[in-house]
Amino acid sequence: MKRSVNLLFRLLKIQIRSQLQYPTAFIMEVISSTFILGFYFIAFALAFMRFDDIGGWTLGEIAFIWGLAEFSFGTMDMLFSGFDYDSFGPMVRRGRFDQLLLRPVDITLQVLGSRFVLRRLGKMAEGLIIFFFGLSQIDVHWTAVKIIYLPVLTLSQILFFSALFIAGATTTFWTMERLEILNIFTYGGNEVMSYPIYIFQRPIRWIFTYLVPLIFMSYFPAVYLLDKPDPFNAPAFFSFLAPLIAAGAFILALRFWHFGIKNYQSTGS
Amino acid sequence: MQSFLATIRISFRRQLTYRAANISGLLTNLMFGFFRAAVLTALYGGQAAVNGLSLQGAITFSGLSQALIGFLSFFHWFELMHTVYEGQISSDLLKPQNYFLYWLGIDSGRALGSLLIRSLPLFVVFALFYDIVIPQTPAHWAAFLMSLVFAHLISFGWRFLVNLAAFWTPNALGIGRFAFGLSWTFSGFFMPLTLFPDWLAQFSRLTPFGAGVYIPFEIYLGLRQGDALWWGLGVQAFWVMALILLDHLVLRLGVRKLVIQGG
Repeated sequence: MKRSVNLLFRLLKIQIRSQLQYPTAFIMEVISSTFILGFYFIAFALAFMRFDDIGGWTLGEIAFIWGLAEFSFGTMDMLFSGFDYDSFGPMVRRGRFDQLLLRPVDITLQVLGSRFVLRRLGKMAEGLIIFFFGLSQIDVHWTAVKIIYLPVLTLSQILFFSALFIAGATTTFWTMERLEILNIFTYGGNEVMSYPIYIFQRPIRWIFTYLVPLIFMSYFPAVYLLDKPDPFNAPAFFSFLAPLIAAGAFILALRFWHFGIKNYQSTGS
Repeated sequence: MQSFLATIRISFRRQLTYRAANISGLLTNLMFGFFRAAVLTALYGGQAAVNGLSLQGAITFSGLSQALIGFLSFFHWFELMHTVYEGQISSDLLKPQNYFLYWLGIDSGRALGSLLIRSLPLFVVFALFYDIVIPQTPAHWAAFLMSLVFAHLISFGWRFLVNLAAFWTPNALGIGRFAFGLSWTFSGFFMPLTLFPDWLAQFSRLTPFGAGVYIPFEIYLGLRQGDALWWGLGVQAFWVMALILLDHLVLRLGVRKLVIQGG
């Protein structure tokens, strides 16, 4: 176990060092990605100026949940880069995954250490800036429970997103190529989490309630944190299910991953 | 000319081959179209029109922008860059064909294929779910198609230019990401430019990005008629010519500089 952890850190250190080869270029890229990603929100905010609210939520409230989801997704995208199905597909197709399988080290650990996109710091920073902008615009009635729950919620979001990445990477064992359709759940889910979910059409709400229950990761917790009225009249404990559901999703995804590896047949080339 | 058309044909056929990828991409874009439509509907909150853009127009925009995302491919394209780094460019430059036209041919075939199997079906399906704006006169359609041709040329001209950065630096990917972020920012792709503060919208429309992406939307939605229509097409034509000229200039400088890696 200790050996594995050491190895993981070694792998990550190599990744980080190679990405910092050109420090100026790296810093420029992080800053530019912060701005570029941030423009999604700026574009929304600029258009928002012509309106009063969106589904009864103010710009500050949107920024609160938007920034939180961005930060969580960015953090996950950095830590779990190895499972990013965009790059995992080519890895399997080109036989690099087969190489990893031959090594006497836990395969999950190796995939985790195979890629670490430090550039995602830009997305994390962007998320934080939007989140704090939101905080500055609204009056949250902080209580001790809320203050404790906020980091728990953030961790839950990270865990839940990572489950999506792991499950997405696993599908590659059968498809051998990246499936763009998975973007609906990951990047699309990230987007859906940025708004009060009831503004979306019924089938979309269904998907993000039952199939990929992101509704518990953002909307219900936000109803509690921001004291918003809930048109669904859901029981209050729904706001606190995030860690439970995230842990469940993570375990399921890992099982699916191991099942995938067991049934994996190389491309044979 | 003949080899140019042949390049288009081959690239067109290649685009049609990836059927599963095309369907999966189509469904994804469709879903994002629904997301955006929902967000705009919620923003409008019952208002029929805002700053001249009707709710129906805003919803049409959501579907149309997602339908054309693959066709325009404005925000992500590093193909030429890769051929520089992998050395394939040495044989490409030796081909008895104009280098710019060679890539334009490849990209036009891709765009045509994408228009046929992604844009059209997506927009038809989107129209089943939403009551969208549909141009009523042949002249209106002709103007829209014209602006789409310009949009493709602007998009290609810009991407070609950005990719040429690889001739000078081994780390052009970062420059590319930044450049494509810039084009994304001013294109009005995520939120209709019409809803932006007027000065910013006006400025964006004059950039190649707003001209390339947003003017076709405005023409389709009928927001540009008479003089405004000709003005819009004029701005587009200007950028087509300016970018093609710039591409050739930079290419000529670049080829002189180019050091082919490996061997």
